[in-house]
Formats: sequence, C-alpha cells, structure tokens
Amino acid sequence: MMAKRHVIVGGGTAGLNAIRTIREYDRGESKIVLVSAERPYSRMVLPYYLGRSIAEAHVFTATPARLAQLQVQSHLGRRAAGLDTAASKLTLDDGTVLEYDDLLIATGSSAVKAPVPGAESPGVHSFWTLEQARGVVGEIRAGSHVVLVGAGFIAFTLLNALLALKATLTIVEIAPQILPRMIDQPGAQLVEAWLRRHGVAIRTGATLTAIEDAQGQKRLRFRQGEDLLADVVLMATGIRPNLEWLQGSGLRVNRGIRVDDHLRSNVGNVYAAGDVAEGLDLVTGEPAVHAIEPTAMEHGRVAGANMAGRDLVYRGSLLMNIVGVCHLDIASFGAWDDPTAETWAATRPDRWAYRKLLWKGERLIGAMILGRANDIWTTNDVGMLKGLVQAGNGLGPWKAHLRRHPFDIKPAFIASGTTARLLPETILGRPSVPVGQVV
Amino acid sequence: MKVLRITPDRCTGCMRCELACSYAQTGTFQPARSVIRVSPFEAHTSYAPYTCPQCAEGWCLTACPVGAITISPVGAKIVLDDQCVGCKLCTIACPYGTIFYNPETQKAFKCDLCGGEPACARACPTAAIEYVEAETADWLGAFAATRAPRHLALQVAGAEVR
Repeated sequence: MMAKRHVIVGGGTAGLNAIRTIREYDRGESKIVLVSAERPYSRMVLPYYLGRSIAEAHVFTATPARLAQLQVQSHLGRRAAGLDTAASKLTLDDGTVLEYDDLLIATGSSAVKAPVPGAESPGVHSFWTLEQARGVVGEIRAGSHVVLVGAGFIAFTLLNALLALKATLTIVEIAPQILPRMIDQPGAQLVEAWLRRHGVAIRTGATLTAIEDAQGQKRLRFRQGEDLLADVVLMATGIRPNLEWLQGSGLRVNRGIRVDDHLRSNVGNVYAAGDVAEGLDLVTGEPAVHAIEPTAMEHGRVAGANMAGRDLVYRGSLLMNIVGVCHLDIASFGAWDDPTAETWAATRPDRWAYRKLLWKGERLIGAMILGRANDIWTTNDVGMLKGLVQAGNGLGPWKAHLRRHPFDIKPAFIASGTTARLLPETILGRPSVPVGQVV
Repeated sequence: MKVLRITPDRCTGCMRCELACSYAQTGTFQPARSVIRVSPFEAHTSYAPYTCPQCAEGWCLTACPVGAITISPVGAKIVLDDQCVGCKLCTIACPYGTIFYNPETQKAFKCDLCGGEPACARACPTAAIEYVEAETADWLGAFAATRAPRHLALQVAGAEVR
C-alpha cells in the first residue's frame, strides 16, 4: 500500500505541531509535504527579538535540518494559490500541483492596517511577520518617538521591547479605553495609570484620519485633538485570517474555516487549524476564532493525531491571554467579557491589583487577573484561575466565598478537588512528548 | 517515576520546605521564589504544601512556543533557561498554578524535583513531603474539603469587593 500523503499548508505553530504529532505516531512512515511562505518561526517571540533580548536565530522553530530529520519535504517561500477539494489537489503560486490524501490548512492571519490615507506609506509598519519585524528593528533608536496605533493585545506585547530600546512612546486607541477586547474599564484605568507612571503617553477615543509625511517624520491627524509627530508609526489595529486563496474551494467558511471536533472541515480530508480555523470554544461550546498561540498549538496537535489515523475528539479551546507591561501583568481566561455572566470585580489599588470573576451558575466561566509581576507570581492564582475555568466544575459554597474574597483563590481550587479533575486530562489521550524528543 | 507525595495531615506549617526549596533553586532564602508553597487552612490551624504534580499533559511544556520546556531524566518538566524568552505563556497554560515568572531573570521557573533529590522532602521534619515511587495524585483535595466549612466561615481582610 502506498504511504499516506499529508500536505500541511503553513509552517507556523499549528502546522509544525501537526507535523510533530503525525511523526509522534508514525515515526516517518507517511509522506509529509510542508508548503510555507516563510521559514517556520514563532510569532509569539518576535517582540523579544525587537527588544534585543534574543537573537533573530532564536525565533525559528524548525531549521531545514530539523525538517529533514522529521522527513518533511518542504516548499519554503511558496504560497498555496488554489485548492481543488474534489480532486484533492493543491496548486502553489509557482504552478506546482501537489496531490494529497489529507490536507491541513494552517495559513494563519495577517495584520490589517487602519484604513486611513498614508497607512501604506513607508515608515508606517505592521509588526506581525518576521519580515515586518526586521523592518521595524532597524528603524527604532534611543529617543525615537514611536506612535503605536491600536492598544490591543498585539500592541501591548510590543511595549516592553519599545521601552527597552529607550523609545519615547505614545499609544493611540480609537476605543475609549486601552485593551478594549481584553480587560474591562476599571482594569484599563489601572493599566493606563501604570503606563503613564512609566512615561508612556496615551490617547484613547482617538480616531486617526490621516498619516502624512512631514520632513522625515510622520504627522498623524485625528478627528479631534492635536496632530502627533512620529519618527516611527506602528500599527496594531487588527488581524484577519488568510483565507482569500480558498475562494471557490467549497470549504465552509464563516469567520474562519468551520471545523468539527476532529478539526475537520466540511470536506472530509481537509483539516484546518490555528488562526484560520473556527473551532469549538471550550467554555461556550460554540464555534469561535481565537487566533491565539495556545489554540493554534492544540488545533495542530489534534489535527495531526487525526491525520495520523487516530480518532481524537477535541473538547475545544480555552481563550487565554497574558501580557506584561513594565512588570505589571495582565491575564484573562475564558468568557472574561460575557455580558450575560454573573460578574464581580475587586481592586486593591494600593497593590495595583485587580480581579474579575465571571460565573454561570456555580461554574467559573471567565476570569481576569491583574497585578505587579513581583506580587502576582508569589501566589498560585494565575494558573489556578485557568484551572477552574478549564475544569468547569461547580464550586458550590466556594462561589459565595469568592464573592466576599475574590483574592482567596487557592483554598477554593484545592478544596473543590479541581486537581483531581484535571490530572487525567490530556489533549492526545496520553502523556505529551517534548518537541526535541519527537523522532 | 518518583513523585513528591504529600500527606497534608503531617504538615505542621514550619515552612522549612519553602526555605529549602528557594535555597536549592536560587541560592538564597527567599520563600517568594520557592516553587513549593505552604497554604494555611482553618485560620492557620492546619497547613499543606502545594507544588507541581508533574502532570501527564505537561500544559507548560506543550504551550511553550520555543520548546524551552522539556522532561528531565527524573521525569520532571523543566525550563531550559537559555531557551526561555520569558513570554509567560506557560504560566497561563498550567491549570495548577505551579509555574511562575521571575521578573528579575525574566524566565519561567518551576519544580524540577531538584534533579532527583528534592530539597523540600529532605527538609520536611514530619515526612509530610516524601519523594517516592508513586502515581501523581491530588494529595490535598480531601484534606482541604474536610476543612472547608471552617475556612468558608472566615473573613479575609484586604479585599474591597464592588
């Protein structure tokens, strides 16, 4: 019998995890072809490259030698251009046609700039791909005035690096608060005060209308308020899944490619994973595009296992984020902004601490925790909040306790037997294998 | 594999494990850097140490975007300092709250079973912590549950609830 032919489109977190997982199961028996526009790297760590705390070489997740060791045939620098699901054929941008027995679409997402005049001019950067990161790295010097357009999670991952480079920083955000999709208003106020203390200027509720050249600088114009002059403009105004090439493929696409609990699309031998996939959310049970690293990783592993012939059911992804700015850490889990949830929040302004808990009945369905790094990591609370949301067990009398004492997570976690519920949980139904120990 | 078996009824709350752990892990006595942490129950009339269960999934290990967490020869999930970039993803992936971030080194840190000679177990005077061949387990759940009614009656000062 001919060996199974897997084609993986996209060499990011989802694609590489799928490859490694297939090899964990088959040790090299099947044929794997990787099509990737870029050399595999971790986008998550690009800000550390920007801040010079790691070398560029550190961002790569698989060298050509490693891909060879995993017996992967690579088409690097090539993009997928068209998919014929009826014939199981993938066409690349150079005309190459690849036949497959099964296919994984893991083409990720792209940065989207605010649609204003001048956004596409030189000196206005996105920071999403390695190539874009390289473009930014050379531009920023000590004392550069950097204007960061957008105050979402991606923008915030850049703050530490920009401050480490001793840039002067202004953040502008169209919403009335920073981190609008990540934290709520009281939390945002705390973070804004913290950032101002650390010399970061913030302008919220600011609608950018144009970016113009101004004698080697950039002039940013707003619907209201004064112009800003910038040496470098960084736009972090959103991302969209890379799906254009799938037009006419017959795949069911909503906000992403709709996948079932096996990460399979409506076409039986086509899987999707990561930022392009709209899969189950663990907490809501509804389809969602998370576009976060942990979801891409789990999607990739589950898709890989199923492509390797397992019958692996995925319970869904848990939305989670963490970002630190000047040693203030902000983490959120699950349905942290569900307006229908029963919600309470507490602050300890003297300690820069904020916490929000969201409930459905006796289950914790979302949480947010904010605090100084040298404070927050002296407790076990960050992970335990994740554990409580992940386990989804009814907390009985502990719910009332946590209403009175939202900072007293640990006894609730331990006494409710959450550890016992979590210990049998694995994504692949067996212990995980470290990346270096596959094949 | 050998694991840290915790028998909470034996714990007297002496905190020696935290001191020993931080000394073994960092070379200094600073319980805030200990990766085993003693919790009080029932208004500080009983105690129990809590640390990484070295779970089968290894949520920290699979979450790491750069492969900086691996499994040591004694079976512990360990952070490779030269690979860790300090992104903290492992700390939110771990559902047990047992991997931490050190803002000074800008690295994640966790229980590595001290390479097979755990300092906490050696320091424990009552054998509440033992390093033995066993399956990992929820060592504290039942103990804490029996003490829950009194804890639930407690008031913890310092939090302003809106």
